[in-house]
Amino acid sequence: MNDKSVIDVFVVGAKKGWNVGINNIIPNVLMAYVCIQILQITGLLELLGNLFAPVMAVFGLPGQAVMVLISALMSMGGAVGVAHALYTNGILTGIHITILIPAIYLMGSKIQYLGRLLGTVGIQPKYYPLMLGISICNAMISMLIMRMFA
Amino acid sequence: MDKQSEQISKSKKSVPLSGYVVLALALVIFSGVLANAHGWLSAFDFDTLCGKFGTMKDAGKANFAGMGGAGAKDGFLFAFGLLPSVMLAMGLIEVVEHFGGLNAAQKILSPILRPLLGIPGITGIALVSSLQSTDAGAGMTRVLYDNGEINEKEKMIFSAFQFTAGGTITNYLSSGSALFAFLTVPMSTPLVVLFIMKIFGANVMRLYVNKLCKKELGA
Repeated sequence: MNDKSVIDVFVVGAKKGWNVGINNIIPNVLMAYVCIQILQITGLLELLGNLFAPVMAVFGLPGQAVMVLISALMSMGGAVGVAHALYTNGILTGIHITILIPAIYLMGSKIQYLGRLLGTVGIQPKYYPLMLGISICNAMISMLIMRMFA
Repeated sequence: MDKQSEQISKSKKSVPLSGYVVLALALVIFSGVLANAHGWLSAFDFDTLCGKFGTMKDAGKANFAGMGGAGAKDGFLFAFGLLPSVMLAMGLIEVVEHFGGLNAAQKILSPILRPLLGIPGITGIALVSSLQSTDAGAGMTRVLYDNGEINEKEKMIFSAFQFTAGGTITNYLSSGSALFAFLTVPMSTPLVVLFIMKIFGANVMRLYVNKLCKKELGA
């Protein structure tokens, strides 16, 4: 166990971080930025924002924040990218981000995890909706909790 | 899944003192409690260790990504700027793991898993691994079930715990770090909420399997 120095071990981990960054984070964030760009050019972002404004207001968020949650279902990194892009555009504030951040992870990457987690473990597919439901409820509750702290 | 079986059997051995020391250090670094510390103490804070990019021209506004970017190019530079914190976080976690910090966490957790989640202490190492990597956690859970260490009901509860906010620590510290600067609370507050909700979600499943589908899943 002590054949490697702290520095060697750290470098092994940092390399893993590099691979995660190159293979997962950059492609997902890039995709998120392109989606936001398309939504903005076409005016769909504003439309979605207005549509979801009443629902998102419950959590103290503007309607456009729904994009962060939708993209979270596909990828956590992508959702972070969307949140950052919306912050840069002045649509989200620090308070909004604080409310959203646990929800991004609680309902994050669900589509991938159906296979990667539930499939690997061997959960019967008829329980998938229940698992998804719990995750989404968790995310909703977390936003209400964070609203008190933010 | 030989590697997973090996890790599970290894977890039954005792934990060296160094394990508890690195675990405690990691908790301090990632909690952000020393974020506003001065002098040498501030070296034990994740955000301080991450540092910041230098600015260009208009200091205080534009880092190397510049200002007013959009689309794929802006996304690329933003994501590229995330890599240092991801690499730092993964490097630190690797060190914690190497010195037995994760085994220490598992030893501390084991006795409380039955009351907290209704799953046996043996799942401790799989639980701790699942916080690092969704795939590692899933693989080890499968091995535990195949070896008869957990039953069908426990498998459902444990999966519900892992499914919401999978790979919690790694994911939160890697991609989440992009947003830490905007938070109005310490970076550890959302992480605590994540854990509370994971436990809550698992208990919803626990209630469900115990009350509603007794016959179907067996004891």
